[in-house]
Amino acid sequence: MIKNVAFLSATVAMLILSGCSTKAPAIDATANASTTSTGTQADSNAATATGTDANAAITPVSNAVAPTAITPVSNIDAGAAASAANGANGSDGQLISVLFDFDKYNIRSDMEGRMSANAALLKTKSVKLEGNCDEFGSDEYNFALGLRRASTVKEALINSGMNGDSISMASLGEGNPVCLEKNKECWAKNRRVDFKLP
Amino acid sequence: MRFLVVWCLFTGLIWSADATLEVVKGVQPLPSLVIEDGSAVENEMSQKMHAMLSADMNVISLFTLNENYFHVPYEGGVAAANSTNSHYVLRFRLAPDGAGGVRADVKLLQNSTEIFVKTYLLKQSEMAVFLSHSIAYDINTKLGGAPLEWIKRKVLLVRLTGARRSEIVAADYTLSYQKVLLSGGMFGFAKWANGEQTDFYYTSLSDFKPTIYKMSLINGRKEKIISSDGMAICSDVNQDGTKLLMTLAPTGQPDIYLYDTETRGKIQVTDFSGIDVSGQFMSNDKIAFVSNRLGYPNIFSKAINNSSVTQLVYEGKSNSSFSAYQDNLVYKARDTSGMYEGTTFNLHLLSLRSNTLRPLTSGGENDFPRFSGDGQAVLFIKQEGARSSLGIIRLSYNKSFSFPLKVGRIQSIDW
Repeated sequence: MIKNVAFLSATVAMLILSGCSTKAPAIDATANASTTSTGTQADSNAATATGTDANAAITPVSNAVAPTAITPVSNIDAGAAASAANGANGSDGQLISVLFDFDKYNIRSDMEGRMSANAALLKTKSVKLEGNCDEFGSDEYNFALGLRRASTVKEALINSGMNGDSISMASLGEGNPVCLEKNKECWAKNRRVDFKLP
Repeated sequence: MRFLVVWCLFTGLIWSADATLEVVKGVQPLPSLVIEDGSAVENEMSQKMHAMLSADMNVISLFTLNENYFHVPYEGGVAAANSTNSHYVLRFRLAPDGAGGVRADVKLLQNSTEIFVKTYLLKQSEMAVFLSHSIAYDINTKLGGAPLEWIKRKVLLVRLTGARRSEIVAADYTLSYQKVLLSGGMFGFAKWANGEQTDFYYTSLSDFKPTIYKMSLINGRKEKIISSDGMAICSDVNQDGTKLLMTLAPTGQPDIYLYDTETRGKIQVTDFSGIDVSGQFMSNDKIAFVSNRLGYPNIFSKAINNSSVTQLVYEGKSNSSFSAYQDNLVYKARDTSGMYEGTTFNLHLLSLRSNTLRPLTSGGENDFPRFSGDGQAVLFIKQEGARSSLGIIRLSYNKSFSFPLKVGRIQSIDW
């Protein structure tokens, strides 16, 4: 019986995941000659695939968290979750977040008072506008929606006399909710622009 | 099964007969398979291996699986009563390899005849699920199943762990294995930088401006690629890794840019006063992307050096994410008119060649579809309230499988 030794491409990939400090593969596949010719063919196929990842060096990721294979590695940030659950205002100081309708980025008439108040408080200060979305959609479009909300607020602040150079923007998508409940009112609180002071 | 729950939907859909993605299995009954633990001593690890192999054998979709656990002698023919009526017997034996690892002997018997024999050496027991995937890949190859290269690939996902907190995690496709690659900030849109999966791009939202970094898994080095006010996302990487499609918003306006990794230069590909995002290569000089230029998110295409834009999808009013593979698109569409409870986001498959449209999911909140590299499978996120599952649709077999994440929601995936 002829024995062929094959190293599967997958083994190197596994080592990368494992953060192993050696260059030995995590899984070696020793392809014994099968009792049938078709078995040998399968083994040959496996050996052919060997080289794919063979050059990948294996070094621990310097700032990676220690590997925790099989079991989940993280818990929800309980403190952040608790503070978010009540739907608190996400803006700094006396500034008030501006809310938006579903899939919209125009400033609602009932938010104009908040805009005026915020503009009066900011005047010559610098501010970072953070656009946020509800949980429906984690895709780029949802992030872009958050950004367009921030951009609309920026334009309104400029129109009220602020210097555009003192305003920066970022979209956080669904990643910074102020309300975690699963209802219409809660989702409405998360579709907002926060005003953050440096 | 301890680590994963598999649900399988037989959608009854008939896949369109495009040459690249043809139906390979009909409706004939599948041959039966029993998996036997032939280890000298039955223990927790051998039982786990049995469970993982059972899950993988379900996913490869070549057998009617008897999922009962059997412990039998490894050597010898098919003598156990449980196996005598099965067309195939997959038998494995785990034992210490004498060097701190595990040796796995595996054989497949068909009507009592060995048709596949192989030995694997597992250096780290926590990687056992990848051993199972490798065995499944080899069995599938041996029996001529539909291409299954994706089963061995790493899935890169961003997991939301709290307000302004997320982690980048590498996992196997069942989420049985998970390793945190990056934590301690707010990250998004992690994407493999090359086919070898040694580097990845990601967006850091912890910086003053959203910033795209490239991180190496070989040496842990992080390289700043570009930052932009408002938004900076690496949406796609071309086949040789030299070109990136990015969404940037230097003036607060999200548009698509083509970035050259060698010259580090960029050109603006779209210029629209609304939203243009999620650029994906359809070829070296043509992209597909999401835009709200008709007043709602939909999918369009354009040549990189031409301003003409073509609408690709004519169904649905909220098609905000998609994946492209050759002449095929899989996209997410909001299927109900309600905007709150009961809102359904389903995945649909569109052949741009035949204009055939097929639903791939039938309820819930399905998001972020991603074709496998060979177009044979679609990976997606299934959101279920505060938690997520990773879904896989095997297009050749019209089957889908779901693997839940125990904690947190998934923000983005890549494989």
